[in-house]
Order: sequence, then C-alpha cells, then structure tokens
Amino acid sequence: MLDWLKNINKEYPDFWKTYLSKFEQKSNRYVVFTTETSGLNPDHDIILSIGSFAIVDNKILIGDSFESVLLQYKYFHDNGLSNEFILESKMKKLSEPEAIRLFIEYIGNAVLIGHHVDFDVDMINSALARLDCGRLKNEALDIDVMYRKLVDINDKQFSLDELSDIFKLPKTYRNSPSEDAYTIALLFLKLKKRLGIK
Amino acid sequence: MNTIAENIADFLKEYPPFDNLTFQELSAIATNIRVLNLEKHEILFQIDDKLHDCFYVVASGIIHLSVIADAEETLLNKCHAGDILGLRPFFAKNNYMMTAKAREESIVYAIPIATFRPFVANNPNVLNFLLESFATNTWNPKDKENLKGKLVSDNMVYIDQKSEMQYFQSLSYNRQPLIATINDTAKDIALRMTENLSTSAVICDNQLPIGILTHTDLCSKIATGLFPLTVAVKSIMSSPVVTVIENVSLAEAQLLMLRNSVTHLCVTSDGTDKSPVKGIISEHDLIIAQANNPGVLIKEIKRSSTPKDLKLLRDRLTELIQNSIYKNIPLSNINNIASEINSAILKRAVELSILDLGSPPVRFAWLSIGSQGRKEQLLLTDQDSILIFEDVSPDKYRDVRDYFLKLGKRTTATLEKVGYELCPNGHMASNMLWCKSLTDWVKQYDSWMNTPGENSNDLSSIFFDLDLVFGEKKIFEAIENVIQKDLENNSLFFDFLGNDALRKNSPLTFFKKFALEEEGPNKNKFDIKTRALMPLIDGARLFALHFKIKGLNNTYLRFKQLAIIDSKNSDVYINCAEAFLVISKFRVNEGLKNENSGQYINMSELTKLDKEKLKNALAPMKELEELIKTNFKLTQFS
Repeated sequence: MLDWLKNINKEYPDFWKTYLSKFEQKSNRYVVFTTETSGLNPDHDIILSIGSFAIVDNKILIGDSFESVLLQYKYFHDNGLSNEFILESKMKKLSEPEAIRLFIEYIGNAVLIGHHVDFDVDMINSALARLDCGRLKNEALDIDVMYRKLVDINDKQFSLDELSDIFKLPKTYRNSPSEDAYTIALLFLKLKKRLGIK
Repeated sequence: MNTIAENIADFLKEYPPFDNLTFQELSAIATNIRVLNLEKHEILFQIDDKLHDCFYVVASGIIHLSVIADAEETLLNKCHAGDILGLRPFFAKNNYMMTAKAREESIVYAIPIATFRPFVANNPNVLNFLLESFATNTWNPKDKENLKGKLVSDNMVYIDQKSEMQYFQSLSYNRQPLIATINDTAKDIALRMTENLSTSAVICDNQLPIGILTHTDLCSKIATGLFPLTVAVKSIMSSPVVTVIENVSLAEAQLLMLRNSVTHLCVTSDGTDKSPVKGIISEHDLIIAQANNPGVLIKEIKRSSTPKDLKLLRDRLTELIQNSIYKNIPLSNINNIASEINSAILKRAVELSILDLGSPPVRFAWLSIGSQGRKEQLLLTDQDSILIFEDVSPDKYRDVRDYFLKLGKRTTATLEKVGYELCPNGHMASNMLWCKSLTDWVKQYDSWMNTPGENSNDLSSIFFDLDLVFGEKKIFEAIENVIQKDLENNSLFFDFLGNDALRKNSPLTFFKKFALEEEGPNKNKFDIKTRALMPLIDGARLFALHFKIKGLNNTYLRFKQLAIIDSKNSDVYINCAEAFLVISKFRVNEGLKNENSGQYINMSELTKLDKEKLKNALAPMKELEELIKTNFKLTQFS
C-alpha cells in the first residue's frame, strides 16, 4: 500500500520524463520491433538483442532504425552460458540500461508493431522496471492479430514463418532481430493496406 | 552498422549501374532507401504525376510501364527484380511520362535522388550508364542487349513513333570487314569470304580503300568465265569504293546505295577514300535495321554462330508474336510464321553442333515431336525431339551411336541456352532411348502400335506428331510409312489412343463452372493446356491417324482437313478447329502476360465477356468426345 505512495513521489530518470512528454502529440510514425530473449518469462528472462525499423507514410525507412546486442555478462556468467555469439556479432553492443534508454528515445510516441508484440512489450517493461521507469505508453499492433482479423480465424496463431509463407516473403535471410523486424515491417505494410488502415 | 542496409547493398551490387560502386558506397545508399510494398495493380506513379524525389529499383515482383493513348493502354516494358524505373527526375523537370503499375504484389526500393546524385557525379561509369540508357530509344532487342544492363528508362519511344524514328536511326554494321590486298587472287579472297560468311571484301592499300570485291563481281566476272580463278583481284574489283562517314543514318545509306547502284558502302574515318577503313555496310544491314520481319529473322538465324545469338533472335520472335497478336493477325497465320522461325532455330542448333563435332558418320534425321512437331508452338515450351540414324554394320554401331548421342546432347544444351527448357520426361534426342537406328525405331513403332498397353509405359501420343527438322527426308518418310502400315486394321491401337484421349479431365464441372485446380501452386487457376487444349489436340491426332491424313500435323489444319474427308461430321470438326484457335489465343495471351508457358489461367483476371467466350469455346469438345466414342466403339470402356 505504501509502495503506491512511494511511486507517486518517485523521481524518474530524465529520458523517461522526456519520453512521457512526447505523448502530448499523436504520432504518424510506426516502429516495428522485435526482441531476442533468453526465454519466455518476462520476470526471469532477459533481452539479448533488439531490432527495429520506422515506417512513415507506408514506407520502411532503412536508415531510421535501431539495433543493438545487449551485453548481459552477469546473466551469462550466473547461468554458465557461453556469450560467444554476442562477442562475434557485428551489431552495436550496449549495456542493458543504455540500450533501453536509447530504444525509448528512438521509439518516442510511435505506434509499436510486432509479432506477438505483447511479449516484446512485457520484456521491455521488465527492463524498464529495473531502471525505475514506468511501463511503455505506446499503442501496439500485432501482425498476427491483424492477419487473423483479415482472414477471420480466431482459434489459431500464426508464426512469423507461416506468415512469411502466406505472403510469399523469402525466409532465407532471417537470423537476426533486425531481419525479423524487417520481415514484420513488410508484412505490416501488406496487412495494413488489406485491412484498409489509414 | 545496419543489417538490412547490408542485405540491400548485397542485392544492389548484382545489378548495373550499382555494380560500379563499392560496398561501402552501396551501404551508404541503402541506409537512405525507403521500402515500399505495392499491391497488385497498385500504381507507383502515373502519367503527368509530379516527379517524386526518388527513383525506384524493383526488389521483387513485376512492374509494368505503360502509356495510355486513345484510351488504350500500351505496355512499354516489364521491370523485374533489379530493374530501375522512374529515373526521369534525374534528368528532367517535367512530370512523369508513363505509368508504372504493379503487375503482381511487389516490393520496391525508393532511392532518393539527393542521396544518389553524388555517387553519379563521382563515378563516370555510373553516369555513362545512366545517360546511355536514357538516351536509348530503340526497340531492337539486340540493342537492348548491347546496353549490357537491363536499365529501363522513362523516355522509351512509343510504338507509333517507331517507323519515323527508325528512318533516322543510325545503323549497326560490320566493323571488322574483310580486308584484302591488291595482289591477292580472286580464289583466295572468295575462300575467305565464304569462311567469314561475308558478302564483300575491301581491297586496301596502306589501310586506304582502293576498291571492293563483292558477290556481284565474282558472279559477273569469274563465274561467267571472263577471268580465271587465279586472276589478281586488281583486275576484277570495283573501284573506286563508295565511302561514307560513320553514323550514317538508315535513310541516307539507302539513298547512297540506290544512287550509286551498289550493294555495299565502305565506312571510313572521315567519309572519303583518303582515310582508313572502319567498316562495311551491306544491303543486309539495311534490311536488319528495318524491323523484325520473319524473313529477316530466318536469314539472321541461318547466320548466327552462338547460342546467345539464337537467344536474341528467339526474343525477337516473341516480340513479333506479341505485336502480331496486338495487331489482330489471325492466330493460324502467326502459328505458321512462328513455327517456321522455330524450325530455323532448331535446325541451326543442330548445324552448330555438327560444325563443332565434325560431319556425321552416316545419314540421319532429327525430328521434332509434340507441339513443335505439330507446328503450333508460340510460347517457349520444353523441347521434344528424336533422332533416327541409318543402319550400320554391328561393329560400327557403337561409334555411330556415340556420335549421335553427343550431337543430341550438344544440341539440346544449345537449345536450353536459347530458352527451350529440357523435356522433364526426357523425350529428347540426347536420351539413349530416343536416339537410335532406323531398324530400332521401326521396332519401337511396331511394338507401340501393335501391342499398345503391353510395354506402353513410355508411349506418349506426342510421338505421332512428327516433323523433320534436319537431315534425310527419306528416313523421315520411312518412319511415316511404318506408322501408316501399322494403322491398317489396328483397332487395338485406336482403342488405346481413343481411351487415352477420353481420359483427360473435363474442363467444366457438373454445374458448368470452370474446373479449377484444387491444390498446388496453381490453386484456383484453370489448367487450359490439359483441360482444354489437350483433348482437342488428342482428338485431332486420333482422327488424323484414323483417316490416314499425312503431312498435316497442325491441330487446326487437321480438323479443317477432317471436315473435308469426313463430311457428315464436318460441323463438329469445324467447330473444334475454331475452338482450338480461340483457346490457344487465351493461352498465348496469358503466357505473354506472365512470361511463362501460359498453362494456367487466372480466371479472376478475365472479364465476364472473356469467360463466356472461353466457355463457348469449350462446347465443341463434348461433341468431339461423343464422336470418338461412337467412331471407335469405346462406350464400353468409359
């Protein structure tokens, strides 16, 4: 009960305050993102990498992107895992607090797009909690939900590979979160048009 | 570093002009790219739209460029993956002059002009490439090929301007003329001319042209016996030579030839005979420059010496077919012309193999079977051929067969390069089964026809559509005679063929709807080849064999002939003949539209009128079926 009171007076980090202030205006920007995680439990698992692209005016802006490998030395050490793949990756490497801060700055008030996006949002929220921030305020759209709405199927989920198949996108070059994000972005453009979303 | 930008850079570097840039440069460009998704029929830009701030590269899918005149849409070009479009803003300020529309769902990279401009400025190769492509307004696919890339420019000339444009176009001509000296003998030069497939030789003194020896000279001065073969060329050459400057236009070259009554013009550096020779323009070059007419194509095919040349000519045939259909020339005429040209290509492919391998050890015949055997192949389909060689003594048999197998392999490989796919069932002369001696072939046909069904796994009715492509006519006739002989009182064989013809799936469902494919990659499309064309083709063949019609392989002509021979059923045959043309046209249109064999028709793209038209064309099939059943008493089987 007192926790609630504590939260009210809590001083957020500056970047979070800036983030919150952006929501006074509505955004015409979408950000497609996907996270690679150590597992499926937002409480215990952590984010290993993030990939994302912006979409403005029905165009994917290749330059307007954010991707990073998150260095999670402690996690790997505690669990006795090898972190070789992280060291070998050519992607930018950041610590979790820094990566999350930059990601929040990057997305701003954009509408978030993802595949089973709730999970990705939960993961980001857990990381935000560790930084003494609140939860994401962005609207979020899920391409699986969009697709199910399009074909009117309620009892089945579609994996990203299945959706790629359905829309005849090549699956060959998908081995990083950025590539997943790019695929999601293409799927989103196709679905958006078919569903007639402005 | 941006992973996707790298992937895009990887994609771009495969295509001109991007292949002139470094990977770093491409990555920088890719970073500024915007990716668009176009739905089918979505318009990227259209005539009179304000210029965009970018140009486009197709990443996947197909975009059509077209202009609209007199309320009619004319297709100018199809852009595939890697093709560039919408370059106009690079050079011009006015609005777009054509419409770019997605033919299928497509993904397009938009490259901002502002980003790309510095790379053009700093890289002369890129600039040249763009300028060259932009300045090209040719309809000759050979020239397109010379552009080495596939760059599509916005200012492609519109078809109707073609005739005038052409008159002033510059000519392509032989830039490596045959040069001889004044002391060479007539015989030596004639030999070299033959070897080089050249119709002339320039006689030079110190690189300056002093005379020319042409076919006409050889005819009028040597062949008439006026001079001996060993005469020095000096006495028989035509002199002086008519010289012209480089880049002479077609119109002017024509005028010069007429005015001087010569058949060859000599191109020199400054246009006078006081400067070095640069090339020779022959009458032949003028003809080539004047569009794709069938005669020229055939002549060109006979002169071509590589599979690549043949491929270019096959492309021109496609263009010819497309234009003819566009101009509503009757399909049966187009068929005739196309099959002649196809034959010429096949023949040349065999010839090229022989030139490589040396003369064949014995006489032989190369036959087309299947659609080319019926002379009704408009689209690039797969190859079907057989080879029959003369009987030889057993000790020579192996060597002889090895030679012909080699010949078969080489020829089918050449044809594959030209664009004819290999037959998936292996019905080709490169296959040991279908490359054998006359005796073996006679046995083969005997066994097929006298005991059909027994060892009939490899019997395909296409073996009864035969056309001689190359070699001995006598061998071909021998096989024809065997077939005719085996037809006598052979009800078993007709039973077999008849049932085979009836076994094809019906084109319409019980409720008179089109029977569409239920699964597979062509789901919901109509298989026009198997369901509509094959029954007619099979029926025509069956009756043609029954009535022993020789020398007419074409389905249309077979039906026409049947209507004369079997006059009590002439209505059925005539209806079938017309239906065959209508259905073929549907298939050809579909094939040209999608650049494939046109086998599967997407019904949702047909207008209601077209659907009715197609459905009407299917009607005679039922009558034909009945006719087969009664004629060959097949009711008990079906």
